[in-house]
Amino acid sequence: MAEATLSGSASAAKAATRQAVQNINAPLWRNAVFVAPYLFLFVTLLVVPLFWSIWLSLHKADAFGIGRFVGVDNYFRLFRDKIFIQSVGNTFYFVFLTVPALALIGLMLALALNRKTRSAAALRAVYFSSSVLSVTIVTLIWRIVFIGNFGLPATIYGWFGATAPAFLSDPKLTMIGIAIATVWWCIGLPMMLFLSALQQVPQEIYEAAALDNASRWRTLWHITLPSIRRTFVLVIIIEIVLQFQLFGQARLMTQGGPNNVSKPIVLYIYEAAFTKWDLGLGAAASEILFILIMLAAMAQYFISRRRGEEG
Amino acid sequence: MTHSLRKYMLAAASALALAVATPALAATELTVQRFFGACDAEFGTNTDVSKAVGECGIITSLINKFNADNPDVHVIVTTVEWPGYDQLTAQFAAGDPPDIVTVHHSVLGDYQSKGLLMPLDDLLKTVGVSPSDFTDASLSGVTKDGKIHGLPIDNWTMLFHVNLDLFKKAGLVNADGTPKLPASVDELMAQAKQFKEKTGKPYFVQNLANEVALYTRNLYTYLFQQDSDFFADPKQVKMNTAEAKKVLEMYKAIYDNDDTTKDLDYAASINAFLAGEGGVHLNGTWVIGDYTASSETSGTALNAGGYAVYPYPQLFSGKKAQYADGHSWAVSQKDRTPEEEAAIGKFLKFFNDNDYEWSRTGHLPAVKAVLESDAFKKLPHRDTIAPIATLGTPLPSTVQRQFAIQDIIGQEMNAAITGQKEIDAALADMESRINELLANI
Amino acid sequence: MSSTSSGIVGRSTGDRIILILVIVLALIMMAPIAWVIALSLKDNKELMTDMNSVFHAPYTINNYINILATSSVFRWILNSLIVSGGLTVMTLILSSLAGYGFARLNFPFRNALFIIVLLGLAVPEQAVLIARHQLFSWLKFHNTYHGLILPGLAAPFGVFLMTQYFRAIPKELDEAALLDNASRFKIFWKVLLPLTIPAQATLGIFTFLSSWNDYFWPLISGTKKEMYTLTIGIASTQTNFAQSEGLGFLMSQAVFAGAPILILYLFFQKYIVTAVSGAAVR
Repeated sequence: MAEATLSGSASAAKAATRQAVQNINAPLWRNAVFVAPYLFLFVTLLVVPLFWSIWLSLHKADAFGIGRFVGVDNYFRLFRDKIFIQSVGNTFYFVFLTVPALALIGLMLALALNRKTRSAAALRAVYFSSSVLSVTIVTLIWRIVFIGNFGLPATIYGWFGATAPAFLSDPKLTMIGIAIATVWWCIGLPMMLFLSALQQVPQEIYEAAALDNASRWRTLWHITLPSIRRTFVLVIIIEIVLQFQLFGQARLMTQGGPNNVSKPIVLYIYEAAFTKWDLGLGAAASEILFILIMLAAMAQYFISRRRGEEG
Repeated sequence: MTHSLRKYMLAAASALALAVATPALAATELTVQRFFGACDAEFGTNTDVSKAVGECGIITSLINKFNADNPDVHVIVTTVEWPGYDQLTAQFAAGDPPDIVTVHHSVLGDYQSKGLLMPLDDLLKTVGVSPSDFTDASLSGVTKDGKIHGLPIDNWTMLFHVNLDLFKKAGLVNADGTPKLPASVDELMAQAKQFKEKTGKPYFVQNLANEVALYTRNLYTYLFQQDSDFFADPKQVKMNTAEAKKVLEMYKAIYDNDDTTKDLDYAASINAFLAGEGGVHLNGTWVIGDYTASSETSGTALNAGGYAVYPYPQLFSGKKAQYADGHSWAVSQKDRTPEEEAAIGKFLKFFNDNDYEWSRTGHLPAVKAVLESDAFKKLPHRDTIAPIATLGTPLPSTVQRQFAIQDIIGQEMNAAITGQKEIDAALADMESRINELLANI
Repeated sequence: MSSTSSGIVGRSTGDRIILILVIVLALIMMAPIAWVIALSLKDNKELMTDMNSVFHAPYTINNYINILATSSVFRWILNSLIVSGGLTVMTLILSSLAGYGFARLNFPFRNALFIIVLLGLAVPEQAVLIARHQLFSWLKFHNTYHGLILPGLAAPFGVFLMTQYFRAIPKELDEAALLDNASRFKIFWKVLLPLTIPAQATLGIFTFLSSWNDYFWPLISGTKKEMYTLTIGIASTQTNFAQSEGLGFLMSQAVFAGAPILILYLFFQKYIVTAVSGAAVR
């Protein structure tokens, strides 16, 4: 970590500083002023609706009124529903396919393009450009690519004398197809998060390493990567949170099919709430999704924290 | 950034101020919400309906004409993305629905059962529209609990779109040049086999990927044709039946014998049919115009031998029937002044009177007189598809959540036909999932 | 990396291989986008029968003319700019303040509150959507700009991001300033905030982007035509079978809606890979 490296060089001076600011670091209510505006919105627009939604999940409800109280019945219905269980498995599979890919490709692109040259700037823009498209267009493009009987893709497959694999109808391939489209679409965010983290690594460390004649790999491994460890955790957590909420791609590319192998939890929630008008069931499923994301993201957070403390 | 933002805010504020400052006209305002897209560039100001083409063009021009003909009423149109029900539900929930809105016959029941739609019998009577004016298929589509809950403007259904060139090559043409269509399941299989041997192409072009509606409509049609009363009780479906099994076995055999395209989605299936990749495209009334146009363009696959279109052939010995749905104008339940109600009546009457114009889209007219008119019969291919007006059968009107049911049937049928699930298991799951859904309404 | 300061394309063969790989991958990335642009310049009827016609003339800008002729399109652009711009500016302010607060200041229950905000990150939009819709119906916030902006402000992503970036700044910087008796706000404003500009730019772009492309909340809250955002507006202009009958028009809409974000990105990207990276940390 950056601060660890620095503290080695000036530990004595730092100790004195710490002493002096001790009293300033005491917990004070007025310090909360910086977080208060956000917390107000957080509570009114997120916490309150969340609890309202939990309350809703205990009812038989539709969009036009909250019906009778049914206790945890909606949750039992979910656990009895094979398709819901299947959608949980599908979601985990999708997260497993996309999150490591997004983090690693994003990191590699950031390392390769962290230069002040025009070509690097142009390439960064290219890798960002897919992010500006809406999900409707992204899925339309990839449907045409994956169906592949017509147009450009057919021509390309033809060069290799192959026919397109049935990415949208072969149960073994559909999730992979959706994952490919998703990585293509979403690679911009992790790349830019890593890039902005790389800007924060103090130049002095590199200069010191250069003086020591450290090899590029050693510099990368021992200075660059440890310095952006925090961002790596951040990217993983953010991507877990985002990819757990897969919806538009699956809805538009496969409608969750075939045989529900590409139906993620959010699509299940959407169908429950908006097609079946069964808001209680949808709310219950969304609470389960909340718990799953929380567990996955928190696990990641605490694992990385413990490792950080040990290291 | 902040600076330019403020500029936009100011611009927005002044735009709003202008809108408010405009003196209110004496005209009664009606909010109309519809799908079918926007086409302002071509038809934004067009009031000559006869010049308009396509769903969007015709409906835009019709409403323009209505506004021009009725200076005392001002219709404000909001277009929504098809089918628009998420938005409509949200509007009802927020207590702010539009006055008049496009709703499918199959969806009317969902809103009607919540008391959100106005029964139109009395209003239609005051403007001189009688239920007996409508075709049977349309009237049964919009009648819920014995009352009319939407002005039907059309019926639509799936059809056999035929590439005559390939049919000729396959030797499946009668002496008068019409295609030979099967009259039983066995005949269908035999003709499909012959078709593939002679042309090297599959008999059917179907969109089997990313699709639920096609499967469901096929199943309903062939269940009707076997007199299967699968929705005898609107709260309890019977799908695990010998009749349903026959339908699924037929489609599975078609799939297994490579008598259909596979892995295509909707758009790709249209491309495939237009490129001459198969003999029969199962698609709706709405593509008739495009396919006719293609068949009139030299060099296209449909131009080579011609294009024809028919209702689904009768493959079973039961009632002559085929599943149909339709579009309607529904009116939201609201407190209204007599002027507003009268304006709504005028609007509905106007659409009823102009049903011929709408039938140029390819959909079947909702009004009997139009169906029987010479003008309609002269439209391309309408002679062969007109029987839909009597064949067309919706699900029983009290069946709710038909879109959700369609999802379930489509998913299970797809699994069975593509061999991911045994037919019996798929039918059992289909039945239990639909019944679970209906039990929880 | 040492090459950060080397200016022109890397010297070693390793660098060149990386560069070539990155360029090849970029071409693969670009191909679909180039294709979208080409499709947007074709006649819809021609594409319906033959998608390969995209490779040859005639090309047309009719699809773009049709977008601009839609009577409300400029209103929708304005709405999107107000909503996405307002949300972005306010997110940056709120997240920076809160991020600094959580990273640097001590107050009662700080850690507990931070954990709760982190848990908020895990709340899927669907879990609060309906409750928010009911809340906003009650407050009469639907079909207003604040109704479209407010839900996005509650998202904890920005706070989490800014907290992490503030934490990554060496503590010595503000501790030294504290000894000089600078106020907390002054330290935040003068010393630390400038160091987070790359993160601000990233957060800003992605907040703007996700708001610009947001579909579901604007669909069910801004239901009046004059309150549509561009995303909802252009979706509403599509015919039911746009993907077969109006492919070119659909693609021109994608280009039209995506272009403003790309321009914004090009404007802000210099702040992401900034020239002051080394100098700033002291």
